[in-house]
Amino acid sequence: MTSPILRIEDVHKSYGSLHVLKGVSLTVQPREVVVLVGPSGSGKSTLLRCINLLNPPTKGRIWLEDQEITAPGVNQDRVRQRIGMVFQEFNLFTHLTALGNVMIGLIKVRKMRKNEARDLAMFELERVGLADRAHYYPAQLSGGQKQRVAIARALGMDPHVMLFDEPTSALDPELTGEVLAVMQKLAGEGMTMIVVSHEMGFARQVANRVVFMEGGVVVEEGTPQHMFEQPTHERTRAFLRNIMQ
Amino acid sequence: MQDFIDLLNKVTPDLLRGTVVTLQIATISLVLGMIVGLPVGIGRVYGPVWLQRVLGAYVTLFQGTPLLIQLFMVYYGLPDIGITLGRLQAAFLTLGLNSAAYQAEYLRSALQAVSEGQMTAARAIGMSKWQAIQSVILPQAVRLALPAWSNEAVAMLKYTSVVFLIAVPDLMGQAKILASRYFAPIQIYLIVAVFYIALVGVAYLILTLIERRARIPGLTGDTT
Repeated sequence: MTSPILRIEDVHKSYGSLHVLKGVSLTVQPREVVVLVGPSGSGKSTLLRCINLLNPPTKGRIWLEDQEITAPGVNQDRVRQRIGMVFQEFNLFTHLTALGNVMIGLIKVRKMRKNEARDLAMFELERVGLADRAHYYPAQLSGGQKQRVAIARALGMDPHVMLFDEPTSALDPELTGEVLAVMQKLAGEGMTMIVVSHEMGFARQVANRVVFMEGGVVVEEGTPQHMFEQPTHERTRAFLRNIMQ
Repeated sequence: MQDFIDLLNKVTPDLLRGTVVTLQIATISLVLGMIVGLPVGIGRVYGPVWLQRVLGAYVTLFQGTPLLIQLFMVYYGLPDIGITLGRLQAAFLTLGLNSAAYQAEYLRSALQAVSEGQMTAARAIGMSKWQAIQSVILPQAVRLALPAWSNEAVAMLKYTSVVFLIAVPDLMGQAKILASRYFAPIQIYLIVAVFYIALVGVAYLILTLIERRARIPGLTGDTT
């Protein structure tokens, strides 16, 4: 048994009196693809933002590889560099081309030289099938293309884990396929991924594990087969039945 | 008509000298305003609360009082506390600090217009807050602030005219001298108005070029 790449232990998150996460524990193995499902407000997105410390947990501990990233004195910027994140709203840098979006982190964070950064950025754009759109600005790209650039931007940082926060929810239905295909390819290449998504087809085909969250806790987790065909909890069954329709 | 042309010939050299002074004051004040206004604007948005308050007070002070009073305070008031400035220095300092307050406000609203997701995405790839401001937020905000900044630059050309009240020989200062020398105030102020319009016209041309060069599809222009 390899050591886990990510270990989340009793994580709580509150905003004032609003208790969003009420003790979540989750362990992710290298190369694993975990799909998080649950009703809105169940804390899935909050959990992702806790993991990369965009909104650090109010209580509980998280280990990335063998480093406790919630320990005091940890360089949070360094941690985020190792955890890629893809957002529902893409959040591409508006003032930069597709290429510029991928390059800027390489230059500013990874301190690469410009030529080196350009080559790697082009490689990452090729990986998501957008080398021919390198010089387009975000406003000139379709939603699906924007999201693929966002994936390339995250990949450029050479992350050890990738977090996807509803990556296809803001897309027109006909554009979700190209994004899911890129994600499936990444999973095939062995990327460790935690995906918040209601794309059940993707979960069934690509996920090693499906985690059902509700009310700030993990209700049930298991293989896609277990979760979709014989979930133990009535709430899991009711939720999945609802979104499968 | 011949009289008018004679007058024009007589006053033009002095007015050109005044124009040089006006341009000098406007340029230096705008640059000073930028050097001070940039950090003030950033501090107003991203600084700690106490700093936001202090900078807010500075902006209110300069936006809320007449420019002329500011100029008199700097030129006639500061010597009382041991700071004596030359006429031009007082002009640069007053107009520069005044412009900084306005430029900071344009930048502040532009910074706030950049969506929060831009900062989140920058932090998510491992940028520090300052790196994110520098390489993601500011380049967008500066472009968004450009039209308002252009107006400030044009307005500055005209604001400079207050400095004749501390006897700086700018375009307006020359006009006043010439008007009493030739007893032809209407004609001379008319000529001076044309000088100002010409300056403003040239400024507009340059600023439009800058705005066009800085355009980015989807940020400050349409998507094509």
